[in-house]
Amino acid sequence: MKRARIWHAGAALWAEVIDRDSALRLPTGETIALEEADWLAPVTPGATIFALGLNYADHNKELGFKSKEPPLIFLKGPNTLVGHKGVTPRPADGNQMHPECELVAIIGAPAVRVSPENALAHVAGYTIACDYAIREYLENYYRPNFRVKNRDLTTPLGPWIVDAADIPDPQALRMTTTVNGAVVQNGSTADMVLDVAGLIAYLSETMTLLPGDMILTGTPQGVHFCAAGDAVICEIEGVGRLENHLIAEDTP
Amino acid sequence: MVSGTVYGVVLNDSTSHAALGAAFSAPPYNKAPLAPVLYIKSRNCLTGNEAVVPLPTGIGDLEVAATIGLLIGRDASKVSAAKALDHIAAACLAFDLTEAHESFYRPSVRQRCRDSFLPIGAPVGFDAAIFDSEIQTQIDGVAAHSWRPSRLMRDPAQLIADVSAFMTLAAGDLLLIGLPHDAPRVRGAHVVRASAKGLSALSINLSPEQPS
Repeated sequence: MKRARIWHAGAALWAEVIDRDSALRLPTGETIALEEADWLAPVTPGATIFALGLNYADHNKELGFKSKEPPLIFLKGPNTLVGHKGVTPRPADGNQMHPECELVAIIGAPAVRVSPENALAHVAGYTIACDYAIREYLENYYRPNFRVKNRDLTTPLGPWIVDAADIPDPQALRMTTTVNGAVVQNGSTADMVLDVAGLIAYLSETMTLLPGDMILTGTPQGVHFCAAGDAVICEIEGVGRLENHLIAEDTP
Repeated sequence: MVSGTVYGVVLNDSTSHAALGAAFSAPPYNKAPLAPVLYIKSRNCLTGNEAVVPLPTGIGDLEVAATIGLLIGRDASKVSAAKALDHIAAACLAFDLTEAHESFYRPSVRQRCRDSFLPIGAPVGFDAAIFDSEIQTQIDGVAAHSWRPSRLMRDPAQLIADVSAFMTLAAGDLLLIGLPHDAPRVRGAHVVRASAKGLSALSINLSPEQPS
């Protein structure tokens, strides 16, 4: 099953995706066509948002980092999220702004010190994130620092959540990013340095993971700098297709 | 009490800049920070007054930094320092607990975001006079540390302005104003209490976990 978060008639609702992804069924039973939906980021309020840096070997090489232990974990605030078909502001001096297609695992059961063998049983489902980064703003303190990775509306999320039962192997999914139709990232979740199960085991060693918490599991190579007006699509096999448009950020 | 996200800032104590000085110019930092150095305390960290804080086996020194948390009442986006404090609804004392670590290079999630590593005290209506208070820490009834917010590089109004310049601080979020560079480090079982004039006192019981 696929669930989407939408805005409808004055309220934010969860809707079920039906009819071969052509329609949504609302909690009332009413259905609407997919094209009519006003998409919201499919996130549980209050969820902790984990993100991984340097979790694909080819991307690490591209950036000049060796794959290193331990995993590079950072947290993101919910201000960063924007839904499918949303708009992301690109700063005028952000010439090194690039999209990063990521598989997102959503926790479904509390996880405390789980083993990698049992880890996937704690996953509710999967969605897609585009974790834009603006490299000019990088500083070497708590890197990647907030001015790069915690900006409003710079992490599209969606289009929906696919149940974990429908993704038996999260490590066998092709993932692509296109900008204005041109492929800029073309990778596979098979290339994760630490896989979804390993990440859940690692995080739950030191902290309780709660239902709704999300893990953005990293991105493969392909650092493409974008401009205002660009149409960016992140697609992950078996999960879906997440669309985003960049607009020029207003300067204060 | 906190429905939103808890944000904090490191390297906001003028004492830390004096102490680290030359280190800022050396690898891995290479230069002093320009933007506030921010972090998030995830929701599993939140706990309250009189809480028992379990200390996992093998954790080493625990840094116990008493600070003030500001509860945001109205979304703050690109606000000026002059208007920043209008966005605060309440204030509380907080302990930002972390496994002691020296490096600021990578985010300190693993050290800082363990369960119950953010006890917060009861909130009180916001009055800027609290920024003149001395924040005192007692360990097992004995005075152990004190500091004043006047030591901060960016005062709370400037901090809110500089953070909200690129990200919205939302109603329901909590902003920790900065940590004292010389916060006490402890091991083992202790009762730790923070107090400051104008704020509700906060007491916690550090409790080492028995190895299983």
